[in-house]
Amino acid sequence: MLNRNFFINILRFIAVVLAQVFIFNKLNFGGIANPMIYPLFIILLPFETNNNLNLIVAFMLGLSVDLFTGSMGLHTSAAVFTAFIRPLAYRVISSNRVYESGIKPGINDLGIRWFISYTFFLVFAHHFFFFFIESFSFNEFWHTLLKIIISTLLSSLFIIILDFIFKPNKK
Amino acid sequence: MRNLISFIIKYSFLFVFLFLEIIAFSLLVSNNSYQRSAYISASNKLTSNIQNTISETTDYIGLKDVNEKLATENAFLRSQLLESNLWKADSLLQYIDTQKTQFYTYIHSQIISNSFQSRDNYLILDKGSSDGVEVEMGVISSDGIVGIVNSVSENFCSVISILHSKSAIDAKITSNEYTGTCFWPGSDYRLGELKNIPSHTKLTKGDTVVTSGNSSIFPPEIPIGFINDFKLKPGRSFYNIEIQYNTDYNKISHVYIIHNLLKGELKKIKEVRNAK
Repeated sequence: MLNRNFFINILRFIAVVLAQVFIFNKLNFGGIANPMIYPLFIILLPFETNNNLNLIVAFMLGLSVDLFTGSMGLHTSAAVFTAFIRPLAYRVISSNRVYESGIKPGINDLGIRWFISYTFFLVFAHHFFFFFIESFSFNEFWHTLLKIIISTLLSSLFIIILDFIFKPNKK
Repeated sequence: MRNLISFIIKYSFLFVFLFLEIIAFSLLVSNNSYQRSAYISASNKLTSNIQNTISETTDYIGLKDVNEKLATENAFLRSQLLESNLWKADSLLQYIDTQKTQFYTYIHSQIISNSFQSRDNYLILDKGSSDGVEVEMGVISSDGIVGIVNSVSENFCSVISILHSKSAIDAKITSNEYTGTCFWPGSDYRLGELKNIPSHTKLTKGDTVVTSGNSSIFPPEIPIGFINDFKLKPGRSFYNIEIQYNTDYNKISHVYIIHNLLKGELKKIKEVRNAK
């Protein structure tokens, strides 16, 4: 499957990691929110890709972010979890067109409403997992929950904006 | 056997997921300890270099602010030079060098990676063992305290920021000289917590909090922050004090690593005390 799609995904992988590490990790909003845009890569993986391959790619993605931030395993586990929950996401937020061949997840093919709910679902799953693993306890439950909600809103917003700017296939 | 294989293939998605999560969690647990020397020396050689390049660029952008800060600091230091004192003939003897012993020296260093949003934050600096950096040296910026070196490689060192769940800094309130311990509760990178100040002390908002100098890591009177708010819960004998940090940990780029020249001697005398 060494086609155009394959290279686009590799480029996107690198771009997403670099953007996360050097731009979005430095953004903060009163110290409470921490926008994470690298789930964008998992969100935009083609539907036809083997699910097991998705998990492995997500593992590599999380590991790359971890290497830069020094939080070994934290982003990795959250990214793998996101890839695991992904099939559930497009089963719950179903659209008749998902199973047509050649359809890619994105605003172009499936419309803005579908994309927003799909992104929001996955980003929330990712952040929920991430922040609870990070605090490693339910001691600061409400504080962690607040962090999750604010960060989810911000990250989803950034991801949707980024998808608008870099539409994967201009027709 | 065939059934087992078909079972595994049928649920391969779940098994791959569990397998990868186990790897991720073992990474998380094995790297979660205080000593991150493995992380800094092995995996971070590549990423440190990339981050070094990026921070050189961002430093260039912030050069104007940094220059201004250095200039004011220079001016302050210059004012402390012997030449800027008005000498009286009879007080001359007090300035003879042999009466002083240098206690601390400072190594200038640049931050190449900095975090402030996580629960446990670390910094990476561009000085390492080849520059004389050792574990457990204090790190300050021109605005105040930053952290403590926790692992050193040849050219880099990693610092536990005071924005860390395990950081505990001996602190002192300047107005009344009471000492306590400074922690980071983890919610906001601008706010810390001062504990162990007894309830009979008088506090006012805005009192400055500095290092006490009780530990051999930081010299006394390094600024930490000032009192933002304080509460006394009924029945408690200690205050809940919220302090606002003097340093903006979002913006620091140049720091000084403190070398305590008499640390060995201090350690020795503490060992003698403990042996008894």
